[in-house]
Amino acid sequence: MRTLRILARNPLSVVGLVLVLLIIFAAVFAQYIVPYPTHNGSVIDFAFANKPPSARNWFGTDLVGRDIFSRIIYAYQISLTLGVVVLAVATPIGTIIGLLAGYVGGWVENVLMRLVDIFLSIPPLVLAIAMMGVLEPTLTNAMLAVTVVWWPWYARLVYSIARAEREEGYVLAAEVIGASAVHISFREILPNCLPAIITKMTLDMGFVIIIASSLSFLGLGVQPPTPDLGSMVAEGARYLPDSWWLSVFPGLAILVAVFGFNLLGDGLREILSVDK
Amino acid sequence: MSILSTDLLSKNFDTPAGSVHAVRNISLDIQQGECLAIVGESGSGKTTLANMVLGILAPSAGEIYFDGELLPSKRSKVQRKAIQLVQQNPLSSLNPKRSVGASVRLGLDTYNMGARSNRWSVVEHALESVGLPSEMRHRAPSTLSGGQRQRISIARALACEPKLLVLDEPTSALDVLVQARVLRLLNELRKERALSYLFITHDLAVVRNVADRVAVCQAGEIVELGDTEQIFTAPEAAYTRSLISAVPVVDNDEMALRNKLASRE
Amino acid sequence: MSALLDIKDLKLGFNTLAGYVDVLKGINVSIKPGEKVALVGESGSGKSVTARIILGLLQEHRDALVSGDVQFNGQNINTLSPKDRASLRGKDISMIFQDPTSSLNPVFTIKKQFLEVLSRGDEKLSRKSRVDRATQLLGTVSITDPKRVLNSYPFQLSGGMNQRVMIAMALANHPKLLLADEPGTALDVSVQAQTLSLMRDLVTQNNTAVLFISHNLGVVREFADRIYVIYKGNIVEDGPTHCIFNNAQHPYTRALLAAVPRITGTGLPDVPEVSDEFLAPYVGHMQVS
Repeated sequence: MRTLRILARNPLSVVGLVLVLLIIFAAVFAQYIVPYPTHNGSVIDFAFANKPPSARNWFGTDLVGRDIFSRIIYAYQISLTLGVVVLAVATPIGTIIGLLAGYVGGWVENVLMRLVDIFLSIPPLVLAIAMMGVLEPTLTNAMLAVTVVWWPWYARLVYSIARAEREEGYVLAAEVIGASAVHISFREILPNCLPAIITKMTLDMGFVIIIASSLSFLGLGVQPPTPDLGSMVAEGARYLPDSWWLSVFPGLAILVAVFGFNLLGDGLREILSVDK
Repeated sequence: MSILSTDLLSKNFDTPAGSVHAVRNISLDIQQGECLAIVGESGSGKTTLANMVLGILAPSAGEIYFDGELLPSKRSKVQRKAIQLVQQNPLSSLNPKRSVGASVRLGLDTYNMGARSNRWSVVEHALESVGLPSEMRHRAPSTLSGGQRQRISIARALACEPKLLVLDEPTSALDVLVQARVLRLLNELRKERALSYLFITHDLAVVRNVADRVAVCQAGEIVELGDTEQIFTAPEAAYTRSLISAVPVVDNDEMALRNKLASRE
Repeated sequence: MSALLDIKDLKLGFNTLAGYVDVLKGINVSIKPGEKVALVGESGSGKSVTARIILGLLQEHRDALVSGDVQFNGQNINTLSPKDRASLRGKDISMIFQDPTSSLNPVFTIKKQFLEVLSRGDEKLSRKSRVDRATQLLGTVSITDPKRVLNSYPFQLSGGMNQRVMIAMALANHPKLLLADEPGTALDVSVQAQTLSLMRDLVTQNNTAVLFISHNLGVVREFADRIYVIYKGNIVEDGPTHCIFNNAQHPYTRALLAAVPRITGTGLPDVPEVSDEFLAPYVGHMQVS
């Protein structure tokens, strides 16, 4: 009930929620909803190659005649998988490191946070590009590269909250009672970090999609014929402005996904911070 | 028999401006079942003293004895369990993300007290003993009033079955009506359970009605220590007199006492 | 004498996430020029929001519903334009808060903040004359080294010193009404007692009317000419200070008085935290003027 009221006050976050739900639905049920389920692979149909949007192909077709709309939906599948896997690995690592550094303090804090600083001082895309230059350009390696640049942000976030919470009376109370550091970090402080973590994860889904797309735009990510938003934009960009649909629709698809996750993230920030 | 005694207890803090003596050579003792009040204004060292008694701050010099034993710098579980705390700020002393019951239960789990299956009923009993309904254990702290939260803090401390409670300004954030009830509760619990209190406060009117003995602190030192009755009717130190005369009064008897003290200046 | 501030049937409600909440249920308060009035109640009674309405801060709040009359100096604050309301603040109406140190801006010196307050009162005043005026005003609150204080940042001064600075600033533009919300509760008792008597002397000299908001009857006893007791959004009793202390009629007022611990050690009375009796009808004491 309360959540509904807050959502009603933030119509934009409802827009975000709807967009995100639509994208997730489309990605999960891609095979059943796309008009050309086989177009996620190396199908060639020169009769319909490089055609502008029409009733048959809503977003037009690419250079070998594949339906761009179908490929975008499949690309969402890849992007979301990548986002979920990256965050599922990066968030716990960053959270544990941030909690330890923030609550335990002392030399633990110094060692961990300097390590985090080192990672944060390298621009994420540059680090990911460097990693992908060494590794095989596969989906798994792309996820690995993005994860490596991602966890320090969670460490930083959780660290700053844990530092503040450490001064709260309830932490003192648990210390006086004699609770262990593990209990205080994970059972007392962590629940108070969760709203911020969840909000950041939502916002980050959008950013992870951008980073992954940037990698494949540069040819370092997912390889053809697997559909990927970034490589579709890269490929199509060469044929601008004549065959504009080749790059504009995948570009818009990235925009819509990032926009949706951002709006939802902003809404969540408000909902989850209310009782503070 | 004394439950707690401190022997020439001192604490210095190193600051960029040099060493600050927060507590200087404080020796005092609390008898079994007694309420000793430590009164002072900000900077008097009363909270530093409490933190040393609780073992969360190591003394720079001096010793603390509890139940006849010297407390080591690393306390045993039994020693930690025996001294518990009720804090001033009811807004921050309970974890906003945990249920009231989970907070009260913490001590039971930490010290493995009683059968695991029985602990929720111990929690409910603890809530009832501070005058709250047992169903309150499911609630979140944000849904409770300041007075209710303070009672929960008391229940949480008592669940550890301590011998000594350190009460750090336990009612100064509460409204007067709520304060009166919480102070009455604390008085009753002390009698029922033969508890001893170290009552830290700046409020002399509260002290007069709860403490057996009073130690008045100024700048880290005790300036006067004595029975409550004697401190209020015949204070020796000028500082004690000035503190008493600064208390806002509401009735004529109080005015008379204040004027009597003023005439002794 | 006509009232400086006349609040009639003031109601306030909030639209919250849990639904509509009634905060003020139609209160009447009036203050004559130069009169010192206290509004006493517990947390959540509606005393602090009353001050915020007088300052015109809640009328523009998107979730607040304010109705009734707040006549100040002949104009209704509730119906003024936001701009006119803002021009009253800091000039005709000023305020002192609970924690002086946090209500001063930590990144500016006292001098910068004081001069800004003075220029609100008179924009044409030169910098030199504003500095002189600030120095002189700090003298009136018994600050013996105004130069050092003016060049300090709030965190370099004690709480008591900041409180005096706040009082000097609040009275700098000769306001007609001073709102004091639990002034000095964050300070030590002895400092609080000193600053309250200082404030009392100053407002008496300047003939400034004061609305003193407090949860503690004891604190207002030596300050106020008249007291309003507020409980759950209703005024339950009002009258001259001596009437409230010697002849309180309303069960809530009596409970509040009984609950204050006495330095004479008369024990802790068995008064309830809440009671149906507290909802008894309003009691007004005769005005002796």
